[in-house]
Amino acid sequence: MNSRAIRRGSAAIAALSASAMVIAGCSSSQGSSTDPDGEVTLTVATFNNWGYTDELLAEYSKEHPNVTIVHNKAAGSDDARANYFQKLGKQGLADIEGVEVDWLPEAMQYSDLLAEVPDSLEGRWLDWKAEAATDKDGRLVGFGADVGPQAICYRGDLFQAAGMPGSPDEVATLFEGDWEHFLDVADQYREATGKPMIDSANSVLQGIVNQMEYTYDKPDGTVIATENPDIKEAYELVVERAIPNSAYPTQWTDDWNASMANGEFAAMLCPTWMLGVIEGNAPEVTGWQVADVFPGGGGNWGGSYLTVPANGPHVDAAIELATWLTAPEQQIKAFANAGTFPSQLDAYENPELTDFVNPYFNSAPTGQISINRAEAVTVVPYKSANYFKYQDALQNAVTRVFDGSEDAKTSWKTWVAEAEAFS
Amino acid sequence: MTVNANRTQTPPASPPPPPERTRQVKPARHRRSNLDLKLSPYLYISPFFILFAVVGIFPIVFTAVISFQEWDLVRNTGTFVGFEQYAWILSQPQFWVALRNTFSIFLLSTVPLLIMAILIAAMLDRNIRAKTFWRMSTLLPFVMAPVAVALIFSNMFGDSHGLVNTLLANIGLGPIPWHTDPFWSHVAIATMVNFRWTGYNALILLAAMQAVPREYYEAATVDGANALRQFWSITLPSLKSTLIFVIITSTIGGLQIFDEPRMYDFAGEGGAAQQWLTITLYLYNIGWGEFNFGRAAALAWILFIIILIIGLINLAITRRLVRDEGGRGVTAPRRRKGIQR
Amino acid sequence: MTSISYPPLAIIEEGIPNAKRSRRGRRTTKIRGVRAGTWVYIGLGVVALSAIFPYYWSFLIGSGTAATINDPNMSWIPGGNFIANALAVVNDPAVNFWLALWNSIYSSALIAASVVIFSTLAGWAFAKLRFRGSKWLLTFVVATMAVPMQLGVVPLYILFADLGWTGTIGAVIVPALTSAFGVFWMTQYLGQTVPDELIEASRMDGASMIRTFWTVGVVAARPAAAMLFLFTFVGAWNNFFWPFIVLDRQSPTLPVALALLQSNHFVDYSIVLAGVLLATIPLILLFIVAGKQLVSGIMAGAVKG
Repeated sequence: MNSRAIRRGSAAIAALSASAMVIAGCSSSQGSSTDPDGEVTLTVATFNNWGYTDELLAEYSKEHPNVTIVHNKAAGSDDARANYFQKLGKQGLADIEGVEVDWLPEAMQYSDLLAEVPDSLEGRWLDWKAEAATDKDGRLVGFGADVGPQAICYRGDLFQAAGMPGSPDEVATLFEGDWEHFLDVADQYREATGKPMIDSANSVLQGIVNQMEYTYDKPDGTVIATENPDIKEAYELVVERAIPNSAYPTQWTDDWNASMANGEFAAMLCPTWMLGVIEGNAPEVTGWQVADVFPGGGGNWGGSYLTVPANGPHVDAAIELATWLTAPEQQIKAFANAGTFPSQLDAYENPELTDFVNPYFNSAPTGQISINRAEAVTVVPYKSANYFKYQDALQNAVTRVFDGSEDAKTSWKTWVAEAEAFS
Repeated sequence: MTVNANRTQTPPASPPPPPERTRQVKPARHRRSNLDLKLSPYLYISPFFILFAVVGIFPIVFTAVISFQEWDLVRNTGTFVGFEQYAWILSQPQFWVALRNTFSIFLLSTVPLLIMAILIAAMLDRNIRAKTFWRMSTLLPFVMAPVAVALIFSNMFGDSHGLVNTLLANIGLGPIPWHTDPFWSHVAIATMVNFRWTGYNALILLAAMQAVPREYYEAATVDGANALRQFWSITLPSLKSTLIFVIITSTIGGLQIFDEPRMYDFAGEGGAAQQWLTITLYLYNIGWGEFNFGRAAALAWILFIIILIIGLINLAITRRLVRDEGGRGVTAPRRRKGIQR
Repeated sequence: MTSISYPPLAIIEEGIPNAKRSRRGRRTTKIRGVRAGTWVYIGLGVVALSAIFPYYWSFLIGSGTAATINDPNMSWIPGGNFIANALAVVNDPAVNFWLALWNSIYSSALIAASVVIFSTLAGWAFAKLRFRGSKWLLTFVVATMAVPMQLGVVPLYILFADLGWTGTIGAVIVPALTSAFGVFWMTQYLGQTVPDELIEASRMDGASMIRTFWTVGVVAARPAAAMLFLFTFVGAWNNFFWPFIVLDRQSPTLPVALALLQSNHFVDYSIVLAGVLLATIPLILLFIVAGKQLVSGIMAGAVKG
């Protein structure tokens, strides 16, 4: 399946309940899409937790009394993806469908089936955010929702026990540098304590790859996967230096979930949505902190968009709602509800975001940290519809080495063979 | 097929022979009953076939058609590519690994499963107290929702903190790499499969065992046959039809094992080195992971052919092993020892 | 030796040296045979224990808190949280528990009833009636079981989208109304347990095919029908993928609704498992009812007749 950048909101951060559904009865709306005042029922489909609570959606209905909003939630990104591609171009999709960045490239293949974002919104989003959702003809078809700028989350208490600095500023200085330096620090931790510092080897691979411009193929269609020296270097670095310093090969296993609480590792690459995951898995632990730093400067992991299927019954009304939902003000509210970090530039000026402080992470100013990290992102890789096949297979290669199923060279060869079969 | 085999059995000695048939039928009645005889079978099967044609056969035909195409799910169109999809699949090392895994898991699960199912059914067939409780308890595993089964077994077979490895450590054996070694992953998955389906098959066999007249057992007991002997000589042969059914459905199901390998780890891909990737899981990942339905359809048909071959082999083996003795009708029993009659 | 009421093998048994001679002459044995010994109960006990254990484990987690599942020293005594967790499941507005429960109950019941009826009819025809092409048709039906059903979702969705049935519970019910498995099962069962003599006798008495079916076939099929109903009901109940695709999220079946728990209650398996157990309760009730149908071999009485 596609790469596991599964986003989980943080229910604990939210004062409001993290999930709710507005049930407005079965929809068989009569309002035509051209009559702005007709009675309209709009369905919004998301998954996991985007922070769109009842109250938030009710605000829109207050301003637009003729619109009733029904919020459908799928259990996870995979279910939403299966549903999306099963029904795109046919009937059955919601008026507004949430799309995860993991499967955005696949959706972009069918950009002609999606409605265009109004020109008036140009400049609303981070440029690399908008570019990923712009097709070859220059049509922007995705309303950017959240992004996942990465920082480093660490256990201050474990660092200090290892004789390393523990305060966020010191740790930020400590990690300042490139990936080799990051792994130097990891070696240092391991020598001091005998335990790995990093949670998973594949998260390091992801961090490195997400800073490349071209990974496995190019916009014109040429496949460079097996010849790309950057990819080979990344693999070798991870296999030689990250694996010995990692507690697990991959994330999202039961053991990995448990390890956030039991100190099996001391630091991890942390997109904003990961904060909620850590808090949810280790509610009793007090030592987690966030450092405003990332190897190589900046990186983004994950994110989402809203799309409007072009053959829906209420396209214009849906576009209006999507515009509102992805406005800076609403996205900040969603962030407060679920930890989904805004991708809208204006939001970065808003004191609600800049002054945001997260009590679980020892009062870290996660709002400002995420803004800094988002602005530090200079390169976002071009991802074609095939990106995740290659990335997945490469991650499997790393896992095989970690598990001892194959040695580094053999595992690489296996990956090369698989990659060549993809084309 | 077994259906015909039953029809050629000689009647059992037990019921009194039917009265002599006389040929005195009235013409009108004869005509009506003749029509009745000829037409009604088709009427009986038509409700099933009409619905089945729409929801059962149509998808199969559709699948066959798109297996020869490069199919775009969203645009609902495809380009004809002949056997290219089939050729691609057969050239993939992953396919052959998946085939190996499928057979391995199939053997590790189906064989013990059926043996246990027969034994459990035999136990349930006996005169026990609280019948409903014992019988239904065997079906409990089948009912359990997949998510719960996945949680339980992945917890039990966890490489580092699992219950099983902990127990093994307590008796001094080393931890088993359940999620990295192919063979042990097959054992774990086969355990999950057995857990789920043993009771199911046991109850099927039980339903058939229940139809064997008790008098047979009674008489055999009176004549001094012990339980094992009765089982071997009365129960098993009477079950022939059902055994064939169970073996065929288990073969088909066993070669299509999907839920258990998929739930075995979080990623659902069958392991980083495809240690436990089965054919249907591979198919699912091609169809729903990559949305390449043409290819997935081709794989489905390759699997179909494999199942057909194995199914026929199993059928032949079963018919040879389970001779048609005792139960409903008797062909001359072949005995190696004892008094010849 | 009495020579009529049992198969010839018993005659031969005489000569076997290990036969238990002590049992001879005990003509007062009850009609159902010797009472089962302790070994049988032990064996069944092991089976029942291993069947119930996962439920108990789920109950343990479900009566704890979110941290329980990760706790390596989890106690084997249930915590007190089960009611609280169950209430959280039932009251979760996104899960729509009662509606989903109702949808699951009546769709599964309809499906199971339909499968049993159609399969008994078709099974009777294949097993006991002679008609042209029966052998090939049956083989064809069985062969269709070999095509994996995951792929069926794609064309079925197209079909139902064209009919405009997506989002209705009918789209879940209709594809499941027939089952090749059911037909195969009833064919084998009826073929094996209904002797041709009964049918001949019934026809001799002037009964039409329908009457014969009704008085002989349906009566004989009861244990198998109960079994098939149970299996089909459970299968329909637990079905996830197709209902997920085709149903509107407003009106789900239980597995679809429960899947939402996993995202709403982030990694809180205590609630998830509490929900899972709740979803199993109606099935347990069904077990008790259907289980009684399996208790006796109906034909045992009829054969002697």
